[in-house]
Amino acid sequence: MSTETMLFVPLLILIGGLFHIMPGLTRPDLFFAVTVAPEFRRSSAARRILGRYRAIVWIATLIASGMALAAGMAVAAVLLQAIGYLWGLVSANRAVRAYAAAPSAVLEVDLAAPRERLPGGLIVALLPVLSLAALGLWVGFHWDRLPRRLPVHWGIDGADRWLNTTPATVFGFLAVQAFVCLLLAGLAWGLLNWSRRISTAGEGAAAERHFRRRIVKLSIVCEYFLACPAWFALFQPAAAVMNVWGLALATAIIGFTVSLMRGGQGGSHATVAAGAAPVGDRTPDACWKWGLVYVNAADPSILVEKRFGIGYTLNFGNRWTWVVLALLLVAPAAGLILLR
Amino acid sequence: MIILRVDLKSPAPVYRQIVDAVRILLVNGDLSPGDALPPVRRLALDLGVHFNTVAEAYRTLEEEGWLEIGRRSGARVVPRTAQNRCDPQTGEAFERRLREMVAEVQARGLPRDRIARELRLLAKTLERS
Repeated sequence: MSTETMLFVPLLILIGGLFHIMPGLTRPDLFFAVTVAPEFRRSSAARRILGRYRAIVWIATLIASGMALAAGMAVAAVLLQAIGYLWGLVSANRAVRAYAAAPSAVLEVDLAAPRERLPGGLIVALLPVLSLAALGLWVGFHWDRLPRRLPVHWGIDGADRWLNTTPATVFGFLAVQAFVCLLLAGLAWGLLNWSRRISTAGEGAAAERHFRRRIVKLSIVCEYFLACPAWFALFQPAAAVMNVWGLALATAIIGFTVSLMRGGQGGSHATVAAGAAPVGDRTPDACWKWGLVYVNAADPSILVEKRFGIGYTLNFGNRWTWVVLALLLVAPAAGLILLR
Repeated sequence: MIILRVDLKSPAPVYRQIVDAVRILLVNGDLSPGDALPPVRRLALDLGVHFNTVAEAYRTLEEEGWLEIGRRSGARVVPRTAQNRCDPQTGEAFERRLREMVAEVQARGLPRDRIARELRLLAKTLERS
């Protein structure tokens, strides 16, 4: 068995485990992306639906692992697991719709709720972009000190993809890195300024504020990490530095993810209003397709809480979302063209 | 906490509900001169309504002399001398609307003592402010 397969199969099982716990991460009054009474989760109907979803997910994971082990069909295995997950989710979503509850029509907003700001301000969010701009300037003045080829991708055993040093490749690489950093900074800013807060008053509001702040911090931390490869490419430090970087990045992502999962979607594990009308996530059930895609032209939010899993997704009914998406596609497209 | 409530099932439009709710907060002294209201975009996002709905509500309150809307500073509560703005018809209209409202809720079955209690509470709040 190859090293890749030995790493790949546990990864599939880990992803299966994540799919397994996902229904428990959502807000208590959302079950498979449908608004329900918070106590519905404990009913026999809910347990039956959950059991069926988990069975589908694990059967798909086991078959995918078998395919990877027996035939080394990695891509097919990933696809099969993803299809199993989607099938389980969509069928559970359909089953739960029969138990949907009308969400509370009363909205409450605390007019004195503290304003959310980027941690450390705009300068902290833009520092990685500025550092890459400075690196570009340095390159311009010290072209003769650059190596003949630059590493632009690293695997477990070190650099595995290289570019010949030309002005187009070097500045193109720096531009793509800067663009990705800018997008992450924009994501953090957009989350604070273009997404809805579900609760702005009471205990739930504090938990939600912490949850949002952690996601913003994760975006900014990732931005700092992603600015590093440009420096590594140009100054080519020892392999140990790269390993430390990779380990630190993985630790940061895992740490933030675990902390977000413990709090639940929107920090909702901290508070449950028993007996009250469900609040949900203040988006209409009818605007969610398969519990995954949100399309609501009447909603001014660009980012809304995911109904299944943790984090935020886009409102595809908002025309600005399509502008953001176009920007998101530019960087990978430019990167692919450059690496060719 | 200064809570603004909007009922999506109410027959009153959301814009009107925002104006009424903020006006009550202003009259009761929950919002004082110098206090800032959330920016239009923030409040619209949190309520899930169009920006124009909130902007229109803020404009109405500005016209009534409660708010000052700056391009950069947002909406801020300003000191207001209501007496200077009161015309003779306002008192008559108030009396008429109050009587109509009392008659309406009485007709819907709200007990008289409950109505009287609410009016006394309102009177006390007004005297305190």
